[in-house]
Amino acid sequence: MPLSLTVCTPLALTDLGNLLQVLWTFLSLSLFSLGGGNTLLSEYHHLSVVQYCWLSSSQFADIYALAEAAPGPSSMIVGLLGMGAAWKEGAWWSLLSGYGAEAAILLPSTLLMVVACLSWNKFKNSPWRVAFERGLGPITLGILFAVGLKILQTADTNIPGVIVSVLVCVLMLRTRISPLWFMAVAGLLGGLGLINR
Amino acid sequence: MAHPTPLEPEDLAPPPGLRDLFIGMLQVSLSSFGGGLSAWSQRIVVEQRRWMTNESFLTGLTVARLFPGPNQINMAVYIGAQFRGLVGAAIALAGMLLVPFTGLMLVGLLYFHFHELPSVDRVLAGVVAAAAGMALSMGFKILDQYWRDPMALVLAAATFVAMVVFHVQLIPVVLLAGPLAMAWYWPRGTAPTTPPPRSV
Repeated sequence: MPLSLTVCTPLALTDLGNLLQVLWTFLSLSLFSLGGGNTLLSEYHHLSVVQYCWLSSSQFADIYALAEAAPGPSSMIVGLLGMGAAWKEGAWWSLLSGYGAEAAILLPSTLLMVVACLSWNKFKNSPWRVAFERGLGPITLGILFAVGLKILQTADTNIPGVIVSVLVCVLMLRTRISPLWFMAVAGLLGGLGLINR
Repeated sequence: MAHPTPLEPEDLAPPPGLRDLFIGMLQVSLSSFGGGLSAWSQRIVVEQRRWMTNESFLTGLTVARLFPGPNQINMAVYIGAQFRGLVGAAIALAGMLLVPFTGLMLVGLLYFHFHELPSVDRVLAGVVAAAAGMALSMGFKILDQYWRDPMALVLAAATFVAMVVFHVQLIPVVLLAGPLAMAWYWPRGTAPTTPPPRSV
């Protein structure tokens, strides 16, 4: 993956305008978070690195790793994206933007989920539900592979790094070892200078 | 703790109030530091607090997976909405997210302050390589269930090629491939069957 040297030029927005753009971005993506939300990762990358210039590509990779390492649902990466979007405006704006972004990504899907819970008995046997469940599965599968490849490219490490990635992938599938161990060991290897980017 | 899992409806505790919902979900999120959120939520909601039967918990997992949104978050919404509607859902969500999310925001502040330090960047380069491996495993994890369905593999491959080779963004992909796939899998003739819910 060649290092992209094109400079991303952010839109000239006021602090408030930037916040509103963050909120709107995540509000409008919420209902597309199929298969548990990880399907949105490459879209997050596109928006925050290519389109709005909130982060550099390696910052995106860092943030993804932090969100994976942190306890709690991995969709919390959105909070860090929001924080990055407003970082140059200072800590308070970036906290506001972080909490706002997380609320924005959760609000529409939560409202839909409440409606779904209250009317589940009515449509649990509807053909729409069956077709939706079975049809969206394979698409989710394709998206997850695309997302995995995107994150791998974003990590942009040297050969030892790629070996670690592939090894972790195999261990994730074959063992029940907590991924925190993998990150701890890989972090150590990085600290020793064995994994570079 | 050692309750037999498939609870009969008459064994249930009285429905939780808003405060109980918040504390219960907070307990789930604190217990699951290090992983296994779904298992903890079942242990606490079904076995310890006896708010719902195992059966309705599993129904919740099905609904949570089906609808957009992170599965664990949707599960909290399901539990809250069961007892207290929209407000319950919001309170359960807050209980589940408040501590881990605030922790992550603090980590984020530290990250943006210090990520340019060479030592921090070196460690992160390693952690990122491991995280990329985790991302790569997501697709393989659900691949097994589609092996016997050639059409599913074709749809998945087409989606992958559209995104990776032709750089189509997610929303057009879903809006285009979604209806096609739904039409293909539209139930015909036989009564719809619900696959048994798997654990997350």
